[in-house]
Amino acid sequence: MTSEPTALVQKIQVFEPHKAALPPLRPYFRELWRRRRFALELSRFTDKAEYLDSPLGSVWLVLNPLMLSLVYFLLVSILSGSRASKGSASGFDTLAHILIGLFTWYFAQNCMTMGGASVTGGGKLILNQAFPRALLPLSSVVSAFRQFIPTLPIYVIIYLIGSTLDSKSTLTGMSWHTLWVPVIILFVAVSGFGLALLFATLNVYFRDTSKILTYGGRIWLYLSPVLWLPERLHGWHRILLWANPLGPVLAMTTTVWIEGRPPSTAQVLAALAWALGLLLIGGYFFMSRERDFAVRI
Amino acid sequence: MRSASKPLPEMPSDLAIRIEDLSLRYRVSVESKVTLKNAIMRAGRREKRRVRVIEAIKNLTIDIPHGSVVGVVGANGAGKSTLMRSIAGILPPTEGRIIVNGKVSTLLALGVGFNGTLSGRDNVILGGLAAGLDREILESRFEAIAAFADLPDGFIDMPMRTYSAGMYGRLAFSVAVNMTPDILLIDEALATGDAAFKEKSFDKMRQLCQDARTIVIVSHALGILNELCTSAMWLNKGEMLAYGEAQKVTDQYLDFLNVGKVPSALEDF
Repeated sequence: MTSEPTALVQKIQVFEPHKAALPPLRPYFRELWRRRRFALELSRFTDKAEYLDSPLGSVWLVLNPLMLSLVYFLLVSILSGSRASKGSASGFDTLAHILIGLFTWYFAQNCMTMGGASVTGGGKLILNQAFPRALLPLSSVVSAFRQFIPTLPIYVIIYLIGSTLDSKSTLTGMSWHTLWVPVIILFVAVSGFGLALLFATLNVYFRDTSKILTYGGRIWLYLSPVLWLPERLHGWHRILLWANPLGPVLAMTTTVWIEGRPPSTAQVLAALAWALGLLLIGGYFFMSRERDFAVRI
Repeated sequence: MRSASKPLPEMPSDLAIRIEDLSLRYRVSVESKVTLKNAIMRAGRREKRRVRVIEAIKNLTIDIPHGSVVGVVGANGAGKSTLMRSIAGILPPTEGRIIVNGKVSTLLALGVGFNGTLSGRDNVILGGLAAGLDREILESRFEAIAAFADLPDGFIDMPMRTYSAGMYGRLAFSVAVNMTPDILLIDEALATGDAAFKEKSFDKMRQLCQDARTIVIVSHALGILNELCTSAMWLNKGEMLAYGEAQKVTDQYLDFLNVGKVPSALEDF
């Protein structure tokens, strides 16, 4: 063996009791950054093991939210009592809104569910190797992102076909404002990472967190402007839009994709504040407890 | 973890590991399942959470020089694995301090293969990346790792849940020794291989010793320890009862196992 690998760890290391809540941040983030490939490859290998990297795999990934969108569309159409489902009024607009809303929502929810299980699922690795544990939920966010990306072209295709077929559609089409989409994706990813960190930690302490997330997530979805338009809320009800951590960014989604307008400053600021807030809260919660994970797994 | 502002502590250059007055305690929940549901039920009955404090290691002080092979013996639950994990930086000390000089490679209770659905190859790569190795270096080492592990046909690309315990152990051992660590921690991994692989792994370890690498081995196979180790340590309920020449320590440990009580001559430790 002639070539020396880059140091597994820095040369002299000192392990001492920690009094501070957080580990020293600079070395932590340096190590995290150095091992970023791990988060990417873990996501890639996991997808590969489930054949999600094959062409049919992407179809499978898209099919699930697509079918759910149709189910919800029928449900909303029936509940609202309109004849929307028969293509009159703005039936297609409703469908388009539900589609893009659910696709975006699923990105965030996948971050939560996969991230929530990432640490408890990392068993042996956590027990046997010292590394910044935040890499595990980060990898879940990468996976959620890779599952989200193929849904976007599907939406665009459905949208293009629908808006030409449905003469009553008021959708304005794509414009320069579509450039806001990467910002929306970034906001969802950062919020999702914060939520992943939060639920990953909770899951270590309460192993039924992921079960609760299934129900909680559904209620959260119904409270979010995905199945209904943000302007349906009036007066103090509008607090539902802002107090919901994913409310502002989902409202941005509607504004940009459906209304074809740039998002309002309030929307952007609120979405940014929630994203950073979730990241800070989740990050603090996770990092202040991650040194305990090895004895609790 | 070292805070950035503090200067590095004094460490004689011939030492690989210095453990100063190390104590390690942790609390485990005695609940059958730690769930929110149970927590709420318990609160409803005004009961407290049942926890037990485990004193895994008590006031351990030891210096391990470079190039030594240290065997660790002790009954189940003596704190051997906890000690290894704290040297690897996985479990932070409750009191005291551990200074480690060199790259640590761990082979703790067969650490490779954390994800049974992934292939052996993927697990090796992921484990290496988590340890902070470059992808390119891992790829270049991979052939050597696979060759040393010498798994039956095609198993390296099969999901690790299909591996036998022995194959698990072979791959894990092969990863650990092929990372050219300065300090190699081996926990109970020697028992899994067959006779031929055992012989091969001894040769590899002897070679590592000659390269002045430091090895700490936890094993219940005292014969192996006597053959390989320059010194040995005996842990009992978190306390170090003896540290010295391997043969002597393992003999003491054997006496203890046979007699069932701590020899009076050792009670001063």
